[in-house]
Amino acid sequence: MTDRRLRQVAIVLTLIGLAVAAYLTYVHYDGIQPVCGLGGDCEKVQTSEWADLAGVPVALLGLIGYAAILATLFVDREEALVAGALIALVGFGFSAYLTYRELFSIDAICPWCVASAVIMTLLAIIMTARLLRAPTDYRGAIPYVG
Amino acid sequence: MSTDPRPTKQERRDAARAARIEAEQADAAAGLRRRRLRTLLVVLGAAAVLVVVAIIVSGGSSDSAKSRPAAAQKASGAIPGQKESAEMLAGIPQTGIYLGNPAAPVRVVEFADLQCPFCREYSLQVLPQLVQDYVRSGKVRMEFRNLSFLGKDSVTAGRAAAAAAEQDKLWNFVDVFYFNQGEENSGYVTPSFLQRIEKAAGVDSAKADAFAASPDSQKPLAEADALADQVKVQSTPTILVGKRGGKLTAVQADPTDVGAFKSAIDGVLGQA
Repeated sequence: MTDRRLRQVAIVLTLIGLAVAAYLTYVHYDGIQPVCGLGGDCEKVQTSEWADLAGVPVALLGLIGYAAILATLFVDREEALVAGALIALVGFGFSAYLTYRELFSIDAICPWCVASAVIMTLLAIIMTARLLRAPTDYRGAIPYVG
Repeated sequence: MSTDPRPTKQERRDAARAARIEAEQADAAAGLRRRRLRTLLVVLGAAAVLVVVAIIVSGGSSDSAKSRPAAAQKASGAIPGQKESAEMLAGIPQTGIYLGNPAAPVRVVEFADLQCPFCREYSLQVLPQLVQDYVRSGKVRMEFRNLSFLGKDSVTAGRAAAAAAEQDKLWNFVDVFYFNQGEENSGYVTPSFLQRIEKAAGVDSAKADAFAASPDSQKPLAEADALADQVKVQSTPTILVGKRGGKLTAVQADPTDVGAFKSAIDGVLGQA
């Protein structure tokens, strides 16, 4: 797959992730219960002690993370490749931890959170592949033509 | 016998230059790959460190989930304290300002202002233990007397609390309120703030708004003031303990000292 195609797929995934995180952030601050199908218990997960990090809702952190990844996808610099991969890998690691907590501590699954974790996993793979394979050395702000 | 002419000097120079350029490009590509692999290793290391820090900060351990003070610091969910309050009060009868068995042998009367930070400490750190040990078992009936001397936000909150008492949800309202207590008299007790608290406490906001706006919501505050004068309340929270129908005595203790309050109740229970 060319870098151009990887970037297109990453943009689509990031937009989906943004929508999921925006919804979860909205329901968090509005105090309403999220629509929760597939036998999940979103309220239990969202009201658990793992639903925030230092007082910041993890849904909001996800929203910020997806927005930051999206921004890096439109910047044609080596630093953007590195930043995008770093954010996606951190998102993947923390999503994996939260999924573990859902399964083994909270005993409830929030399908929205699982969807976000899957998206973040795919993004971590794609952003890492781009970091290794992007054809052009961006140092010195060489225009990206991938 | 070949008839091909030998390469000219110019052709040999061009071929050598092409080979040199190709070698330089291959070196550059290999250098870029090596550099990116090094970058990836650094990125992976940084990501691992950040994830570990995030996990430590999130502090998720099942022990802290059981600790209400910890829960108060990082209460989460749609509305902070909603879950903790519901768990503490589940299944305990409430009527107006009272919590627990009407026939309980011991009474505990609390004088508090919803804006008072020490009242918050008492409510979040001591009250759950007392409810669990004495109210749930029917030994103690609690009574909440809402003072509103700290300022305008106290009065607004107090009238909303009176409305919650009308719906027999005062204790849920007060507890969730303390979880969400803001800066004193900063004007944080707004209609939307109260609606969030009411929602988490299971209070019907429309009915509560109507009652809070009526003069009737002022009466419980005035009664609490008069009673506080009568029993000479000097500060908040003041916790009085006594036998049902008997004389009440103020517990002289730090508002977070669970042991002191338990001793006071045990003492009265021993006489009851």
